[in-house]
Amino acid sequence: MRLLRLAVLSLLGFAACGWADDRVAYAPVPKDAPVVLPRDHGAHPNFKTEWWYVTGWLQTKGGPVGFQVTFFRSRLPFDDGNPSRFAARQVVVGHVALADPVVGHLEQGQRLAREGFGLAEAATGDTDVVFGDWRLVRDKEGSFTARAGTARFTLDLHLRPTQPALLQGDRGYSRKGPGQDEASAYFSMPHLAVTGRLTRGARTETIRGEAWLDREWSSNLLNPRSVGWDWAGLNMDDGSAVTVFRVRDAQGHPVWAGGSVRGADGTLTLLGPGDVAFAPRRRWHSPRTGADYPVETTVSVTTPAGTKHFELRPLMDDQEFDTRRTGGPVYWEGAVEVDGGRGYLELVGYGGKVNF
Amino acid sequence: MLNVTGLVKTVPGGRTLFERLDLSLARGEFVAVTGESGAGKSTLLNLVAGLDSPDAGSVCIDGTDIAGLDDDGRTRLRRDRIGFVFQAFHVLPHLDLAHNVALPLALQGHDAHASLVAAEAMLASVGLGGRGDAYPRELSGGELQRVAVARALVHRPGLILADEPTGNLDPDTAARTLALFVDQVRHAGAAVLLVTHSTVAASAADRTLVLSPTGLVERG
Amino acid sequence: MARPASLSVAHRWLLWSEWRAYPGRALAAVLAIALGVALGFAVHLVNASALGEFDKAMHSVSGSADLEIRSANAFGFDEMLYPRVARLPGLDVSPVVALSALVDDKIQVSLEGVDVLRAGGMGQGASDGGAEGLADFLSGRSVYLSAAALSAAGRKVGDSMTLGANGHAIQVRIAGTLPSRANTNAVTMDIAAAQWRFGMLGRLQRLEIRLAPGIGTAGAMRMIRAVLPPDAIVTDTASEAARNDGLSAAYRVNLDMLALIALLTGGFLVYSAQSLSVARRRAQFALLRVLGMQRKKVLGQVLTEASVLGVVGAGAGVALGLGLASLALNLLGGDLGGGYFHGNAPQLVFAPWAAAIFGLLGVGAAVLGSMVPALAASRILPALAIKNAGDAVDPRVRARPWRAVVCLVGALLASLLPAVGGIALFGYVAMALLLAGGVMLMPWLARALVSPLRHVPLRHVPFRLATARLWGAPSQASVALAGIVASTALTVAMAVMVTSFRGSVERWLGDVLQADVYLIAEGGRGGFDAATLERMRKVPGVAWLGVLKETPLQFDARRPAVTLLARTLTGPGGHLALMGSRITVPAGATAVWVSEPASRIYHWKPGDTLTLPLPGSPKARVAGVWRDYARQHGAIVMDEGTYARLTGDRSRTSVSVLLAPGANSDTVVAGLRSAVGPGGGGVTVSRPQDIRRQALEAFDRSFLITYLLEGIAVCVGLAGVAATIGAQVLSRIREFGMLRHVGALRGDLVRMLLIEGALLGLVGGIAGVALGVAMSQVLIHVVNPQSFHWTMDTLLPWPLLGWVIAGLAVATSGTALVVGRSVLSADAVRAVREDW
Repeated sequence: MRLLRLAVLSLLGFAACGWADDRVAYAPVPKDAPVVLPRDHGAHPNFKTEWWYVTGWLQTKGGPVGFQVTFFRSRLPFDDGNPSRFAARQVVVGHVALADPVVGHLEQGQRLAREGFGLAEAATGDTDVVFGDWRLVRDKEGSFTARAGTARFTLDLHLRPTQPALLQGDRGYSRKGPGQDEASAYFSMPHLAVTGRLTRGARTETIRGEAWLDREWSSNLLNPRSVGWDWAGLNMDDGSAVTVFRVRDAQGHPVWAGGSVRGADGTLTLLGPGDVAFAPRRRWHSPRTGADYPVETTVSVTTPAGTKHFELRPLMDDQEFDTRRTGGPVYWEGAVEVDGGRGYLELVGYGGKVNF
Repeated sequence: MLNVTGLVKTVPGGRTLFERLDLSLARGEFVAVTGESGAGKSTLLNLVAGLDSPDAGSVCIDGTDIAGLDDDGRTRLRRDRIGFVFQAFHVLPHLDLAHNVALPLALQGHDAHASLVAAEAMLASVGLGGRGDAYPRELSGGELQRVAVARALVHRPGLILADEPTGNLDPDTAARTLALFVDQVRHAGAAVLLVTHSTVAASAADRTLVLSPTGLVERG
Repeated sequence: MARPASLSVAHRWLLWSEWRAYPGRALAAVLAIALGVALGFAVHLVNASALGEFDKAMHSVSGSADLEIRSANAFGFDEMLYPRVARLPGLDVSPVVALSALVDDKIQVSLEGVDVLRAGGMGQGASDGGAEGLADFLSGRSVYLSAAALSAAGRKVGDSMTLGANGHAIQVRIAGTLPSRANTNAVTMDIAAAQWRFGMLGRLQRLEIRLAPGIGTAGAMRMIRAVLPPDAIVTDTASEAARNDGLSAAYRVNLDMLALIALLTGGFLVYSAQSLSVARRRAQFALLRVLGMQRKKVLGQVLTEASVLGVVGAGAGVALGLGLASLALNLLGGDLGGGYFHGNAPQLVFAPWAAAIFGLLGVGAAVLGSMVPALAASRILPALAIKNAGDAVDPRVRARPWRAVVCLVGALLASLLPAVGGIALFGYVAMALLLAGGVMLMPWLARALVSPLRHVPLRHVPFRLATARLWGAPSQASVALAGIVASTALTVAMAVMVTSFRGSVERWLGDVLQADVYLIAEGGRGGFDAATLERMRKVPGVAWLGVLKETPLQFDARRPAVTLLARTLTGPGGHLALMGSRITVPAGATAVWVSEPASRIYHWKPGDTLTLPLPGSPKARVAGVWRDYARQHGAIVMDEGTYARLTGDRSRTSVSVLLAPGANSDTVVAGLRSAVGPGGGGVTVSRPQDIRRQALEAFDRSFLITYLLEGIAVCVGLAGVAATIGAQVLSRIREFGMLRHVGALRGDLVRMLLIEGALLGLVGGIAGVALGVAMSQVLIHVVNPQSFHWTMDTLLPWPLLGWVIAGLAVATSGTALVVGRSVLSADAVRAVREDW
């Protein structure tokens, strides 16, 4: 899961809203099979928050690079019925980042806007998120087209599913904490085959790679005790996919944990709070924010077949992403590899507490 | 001292003032030139001073032909070698007597103090001692002319050009002034070319010449 | 023997003795230079200080946007332009709703509705109050105020206040301050709330655009123009600067010209003083030449005198200018009363370079003014000059007017040329040529005017002597005349222009102010709505009620907006006085009448078709041109009914009322006020006589600096005349002595001097007035239309012109008399024996 998205909207309204009549009644995530595809590729404007989160590895001439293309949709907690086209009801945020060891730190871009005018919008029914010239669209064949960039680079990607969607939790109902309704609707699309172009400056190269799409929406995600979280999604070379997450409290103890392991044959094993453990091996100190991120971590996953250890190693140390400009936290979102696989690791709440 | 040879001067309108005029002055010689009005006495002085140019002939002062000098050269020559006394005094009204007399020295580049000391001494020798700080308007005509004489001699020129120096004075004053003038130039050892109508003035000269269109004729 | 510093001693003696003998002359020259430098420098300083203020204001307003799309009118453009522009590549676009608003019904503010929900847009501080604060802000319940607006309203952060705009008013809480706009009265709120709460749904006033790196301004402008509707314009900072510059450039050039004229007059004074001093000392210079002073030393002597005078004068002038500038800034404001800048007096900025330049101009004027007489002095033939202290010019030589004629013809040609960059450059060239030509014509003209008097068969000896001298010594006479003519001409030119302008404005006010009472809604009130107007019509005693809506229309990004006046054009108070040709607009077409400045700036003629930058871009035909002195940047009149049909806007900014016969105006005004609403607040009531008085006061204020400079020019001119005449009389002591010797009585000489002086004054006055009237025609028909785009009818201030001529005659003869008497009393007889 991607708790980060909540932080994006921390500014936009967790606190109680001033006027009862203006307050938006968010839809709760239904416990019974909340995910129906292909409908749920589209947006869910009645839920508080939602994201389309693409991460992956690309092979370039200069070696492997990591990338991230992310869109968030967020419903503001109030609505005064303003008929203006500018009336702020939904907020759209876009993030893009490229992790190239040659550069040594993330190259990133971020956008934030109120929804409207076809400039920043997330369509319902199927994936069609647009933010200026950035977009993520799902076509009739089920493949995704992603485009995003900054002044320094542009990603033009075609993402072809090679496996069916992976519904996390109970047929898509993914619990996030001990409390009632602390849950999201959550599905992932691991092992997306990536083809496309990466443009840097005047140079455009054709690239290939493998990616992971996370789709999640919710109105009530996070336990009040939590101060941060860790998440990882791994595309294993044998075709299996591993998802792990943990929510931490102020002492660093897990408030909740979970995940899943799907074998190459499609058999799905769900992981509960007792099945996932994170053990830091090496920390990297950010010279910019002073945060210490456990960039080398061993993740232990216990399934009925036994406990397996994944030694996560970062593509490079400095994959810190400062999204405060668009209302997010400073966190670490980076390409990692394990023996027999590659994926992305997310570390939130290490540089002081994430402000809700 | 002064050698004028073959001087020819025609005034506008075609009248010839003199044709091939010759004149020479020895050092310390006092020569008077008389003639009728319009004979060209003043013009002769102007030609000698380099203030006017002859049609032909040459003017040599101390062996220097002034025709060979440009305006600045002639000006320097005047400044250093010649002193002037005019009929109409020509004293600057807003300078005191000492400064008036010191002017030639100042123009030569002497410093102010030395010039003024010399001027005071010169004034004393013409009988105006101690009056250096008086202004011209306080003086009579005779006194003014004495100032002019002092100015003409203060820089020890070898040649004094005088144009009717007593013309504006009453006979008594004229006589006294003339006597002083002769006394001073003799004392200074300067040659004098004096142009005058006055026989009295001419009588003070070593020799007297009469200017006519045919030239200078010595009068015995 | 001769040392390098050879002539310094003699130089010094001569300089000191000259100044000691005639301190007044040296002082007059110093004063003239000082005045000229002071005026020029002061005007420049004020301008520079005001412009500095202007630039600062500009920067804080235009922020960091590279380009801006603005609505050409107050209604805004369709908001769907925003996505069209935002989709263009390489542009980061921020939409803005901009309105003029009132805080607490009294403080005028500029209200901006902005989108804070943008990357980088969060810096405003809108997140201070957390989610609740943001909800407040997004719903328009809270706003941010600039520090200036906060203190003007007497509020603090957290207070509630009333915010009114466009006829709507809401209660809002002050959430915080706007650090970026601290010095302007500004309010920021959410864009959606601003649209909704103030009746601006669907419309935007501005798009602020930042360019991605590598995107050129010109290319972006081209791209934007391709999608731009006629009711929006795109501007970059350059055109913004040009627009703001255009506001004041013409005015500033005008002031600079006045300052230069003052400097020029000072130069004239130096010239006349020096040339007379040289003339007077002709024989002295000759003596110095005989005694051995070289020619260039004589030149150096005169120029040294001039530069010492110039340096002293320029130094004093710079100090005086600094004082004048600070005085002017405090008393008149940065535009010297011109009404271009508003707000506080700008800080005085001392400009060392400008001081140096104006100082050098002063020294230059002094040296140049002395150059001509100095050259003349150095060319003196000593042998001739030492015998003749008089005028060296042979009276039989004829004056040659051909150079003057060349100048005058050049002036005529220059006056036909168009403006250069909005500045009437050739107009000023024409004036300078006229002045130069006029002055050069003087010797000839003096002879021509005096010539007939010489043949008057009068046995009056003083009269004949006087005319003979004026006729026979024209070069000396013309030195005096040049000063008289130049200062008179400049004064008369300005006076005629101002009189014509003021007269035309008065006439125009009479045409415009037809009603008995005017009610004007204060800005931000949103004007009077239809219901209010209906109530006002029904107030007893109202015989006729005309309405007016003023709203800006932007036709050209590089020019200030034109004012659209939608007004009642029918009924007894609805007459529009037109000038020139008019046409009848075919039925069905929209007729507009353009003001004279609008017609000149945009080259609109009756019969032309305009596309109005109003919603829907309607077309209109120009039916006529009307005179307008109120709006320098142009105005367009249309029928208010047509306007309502085109825009749907029914609010009106002011009404004019004709009273029914016998109605009491106070009662009617009270009725009108109560018809506006309880208390009748936010309304200004004016009567035509008040408006007229205020308008003329504003006019006089804006010409205050002109009057001031004019007065100084007159003083400098008269001082020059007095100095000139005085010096000339002094230089003629010998002549007087001779006349006394041959039997002229003192009374005869006094009469001769009186007549001479009077003739000189009359000739100079008549010539100066004639030249001044010619120059005023250049001001009226070339400089004003080119700089300010309006024309006026020439009105000659006859009494003033008469007084100028008479005053000059009196001043010249008076000076001649006073100086002459003192000279005649003692020295005349004795002077014959003297040489000078």
